[in-house]
Amino acid sequence: MKIKTRFPKLILFFVVLLTTLSMLSPLTNVKAAEKTYQIATDITFAPFEFQDTSGEFVGIDMDLVAAIAKDQGFKYEIKPLGFNAAVQALESKQVDAVIAGMSITDERKIKFNFSDPYFDSGIIMAVSEGNDDVSSYNDLKGKKVAVKTGTEGASFAESIKDKYGFSIVTFDDSANMYEDVKTGNSVAVFDDYPVLAYGIKQGNGLKSVTDKEAGASYGFAVSKGENAELLEMFNTGLANLKASGEYQKIMDKYLETGSNTAATEDTGFFGLLKESMPSLMTGLKMTLILTVVSLIIATIVGIVFGLMRIAKSRLLSTIAMIYIDIFRGTPLIVQAFFIYFGIPAAFDFRITAFVAGLITLSLNAGAYMAEIVRGGIQSVDKGQMEAARSLGLPYGKAMLKVVLPQAIQLMIPAFINQFVITLKDTSILSIIGINELTQSGKIIIARNLESFQMWIIVGIIYFIVIMILTKVSNVLERRIKNGKA
Amino acid sequence: MAKLNVTNLKKSYGSLEVLKSIDMQVQEGEVVCLIGPSGSGKSTLLRCLNMLEEVTSGEVVVNAQKLTDKNTDINKVRENIGMVFQHFNLFPNLNVLGNITLAPVELKKASKEQAKEKALQLLERVGLKDKASENPARLSGGQKQRVAIARALAMNPDIMLFDEPTSALDPEMVGEVLNVIKQLAQEGMTMVIVTHEMGFAREVADRVIFMDGGYIVEEGTPQEIFGNPQNERTQDFLNKVL
Repeated sequence: MKIKTRFPKLILFFVVLLTTLSMLSPLTNVKAAEKTYQIATDITFAPFEFQDTSGEFVGIDMDLVAAIAKDQGFKYEIKPLGFNAAVQALESKQVDAVIAGMSITDERKIKFNFSDPYFDSGIIMAVSEGNDDVSSYNDLKGKKVAVKTGTEGASFAESIKDKYGFSIVTFDDSANMYEDVKTGNSVAVFDDYPVLAYGIKQGNGLKSVTDKEAGASYGFAVSKGENAELLEMFNTGLANLKASGEYQKIMDKYLETGSNTAATEDTGFFGLLKESMPSLMTGLKMTLILTVVSLIIATIVGIVFGLMRIAKSRLLSTIAMIYIDIFRGTPLIVQAFFIYFGIPAAFDFRITAFVAGLITLSLNAGAYMAEIVRGGIQSVDKGQMEAARSLGLPYGKAMLKVVLPQAIQLMIPAFINQFVITLKDTSILSIIGINELTQSGKIIIARNLESFQMWIIVGIIYFIVIMILTKVSNVLERRIKNGKA
Repeated sequence: MAKLNVTNLKKSYGSLEVLKSIDMQVQEGEVVCLIGPSGSGKSTLLRCLNMLEEVTSGEVVVNAQKLTDKNTDINKVRENIGMVFQHFNLFPNLNVLGNITLAPVELKKASKEQAKEKALQLLERVGLKDKASENPARLSGGQKQRVAIARALAMNPDIMLFDEPTSALDPEMVGEVLNVIKQLAQEGMTMVIVTHEMGFAREVADRVIFMDGGYIVEEGTPQEIFGNPQNERTQDFLNKVL
C-alpha cells in the first residue's frame, strides 16, 4: 500500500530532477564553447560516420576530423543531425561546417566553400542477396529503385532513369533504404560505393552487381564567406595526414576487408536488447525531459491563451484564436523546421536543436492546451464566477481561486491525453537531430542494420512508458476527484 | 438620502427589453420584497443592483456611489452588498469554512485567524457550526443556502440581496432558510428579496413591490398589496398564487 502511494511522487521527483539538470547543462556548454567549431554530420552514413557499440561517433569522417584538428590545433564539436538537417543547418549558419561524405557538386558550390577532396567515391548498384534477375541497369525496366535523398547515388539514378525506364523511391537514411530493397519494394539501390560495401560486409542482405561508376569527390564544407580559416586548416591538415601516411591508415581501418566484421555482433533479440539498452535509455531520458518540460511550458502558455480566448476584449481573443489556429492547423514537423532552420536563418542567430525542439513542442502543445483550458473554464457553472464577483473579488482572483481550480479538475482527462500525444510527438523531433528515443533507435540501426528488431524494441519502450504514465495519471485523477468532490 | 436609489433603469438583451424604466428606492434598514410572475424582470432588477447585469441605461446609486459610472470601483461597492443565489453557488473546491473565509482573506479584510473566528460565529448563527470542515457537496439544500448566507455576511455587508433563496429547496427545508433571513431583518439589515413565498413576504417585508412585464406595477406595505391590491394585474397574480 505504501509503495503504491509513493510511486507517482517518486516518478515526479525524478522527472523534475532530470529536467533541472538538463536545463542547466546546455546553457553552460554554449558559453564555454566560444572557439569551438560546430561541425554537423550525418548519423547513418557508415563507414564515414556512425556510432559504435559504446555510443561513440566513429568513421572515416570522424577520424579524419579528429586527426586534422589535432594536427592543426583547433577545437570542434560534432553535431550528428542527419544529412539533410546538416546541410540545412549549414545553410542557415546554425553550424560552422559539414562533413558528411558530401559530394562536391556545382549546385552546392553556390552556397558552400569546399575543401580539397578528401575521398573519391563512386556509385554502385546493389540488389537483394537472393535476387538473380537483376544484374545490370537493363534489368531495371519498369521496376523501382531506392535512393537516399540528396546523395550522389540519387542524382546518378535520376540521370539514367529515363534511359533504363525505372522509377525512384527516396529515403532519408540508408537503413530504411536497404530495408526497402530487402523486403522487395524496390529491386535495387544506388548508393555510394564505400557505404554500400560497408553495409554488405555488415550483412545487410544485399549484394553489389555493378562496377563502380566514377563519381564525384567528397569534401568538407563551410558556408560561403564564413570560416575561411577553418577551411584552410582542414586543407593543410589533410595534406599533412596524406604525407605522413595517417590518411591511408584511416582508410584502411574502415575500408579494408573484414576489419569491422570481426567485432562481436550478437544479433539475437536479447543480445540486441542488451547492447542497445544504454543508448536507448539515454534517448528515453531525452524524450521524457522534452515531454515534461514542454508540457509545463505548454500548460502556462495554454492557461494564458485559453484565458485570452474567452476574454471580453476582442483583440485578446483574436490574438489567441490566431495562435491556436496556426499551431493546430500546421504539422508539427513543419513547425520544427520553421523554428529550427527558418527563423534563425531569417534573423541570423543560432539556437540549439534542443531549445528549438522544446519551443516547437511547447507552442504546439500550448495551442491544444489553450483549447483544453477554454473548454474547462466554460464548463464551470457561470454561477461560480457570479458568486465570487458578488463578494467583491476582482475577475482575476475569482478566476484563480474559484473557477480555475474547478476547471482543472474537469481538464484532467484531456490533459492526460495531451501528455501522451506530446510524448509521442517528441519522436518527430528526431528530424532536427535531437537524440531522443526514436533518434537513438535510428542511430543504432545505422550501425547494426537490424531495423525489424530495433523498431520493435523502440516501440515496446514507448508503449511501456506510456502505459505506466497513463496508469499513474489515472490514479492521480481518481485521488484528486475523491479528495475534492 | 436613500440607501439604494434606482432611477429610470432600463435593461435589454438585444432587442428584448426586460426592464422598462424602473424607479425604486430602498431606505436604510428597510426590507423590500420583489414579487411577480416568471419573466417579469424581478431577478434581472436585483442583479442590476450589484452590476452582475450590465445596465443598458439609467442610474443605480448605492450608498451615494453611482454604480453606473464607469469610474466607480465596482469591486469595492460589491464588498458591501451581499448576495444569495437561488442555486447557492457554493464553491465546491473549498470546504464550508473555505467558502466563508475566501473573500475576507483574499481582499485583506481580515487575517486568516480572524476570518476563521468570524466564520465560526456566523456558522453558529445559522446553526451549522459542526459543518465547518464539511465539503459543500455533502450538505442538504437548506444547509447549503445557510452557508451561502454566512458567506455573504462574512464581508460585513450593509445591504443583502436575495435571489429566490428558497426556490430550489425541498419544502421541508424552506423554513430553516427563511428563519435565518427573518432574523437578519429583525437585526435591521437592509434587504431586497426576490421571492415566491407570499406568506414570508407578508411577514418580513416593510414594503412589497409587484413587477410585471418589466415594470413596477404596484408597491406598498404587505397589508396594502396582499389585503387590498389596486391594480388588476396584481389582483390576477395574487389570485393565482394565494
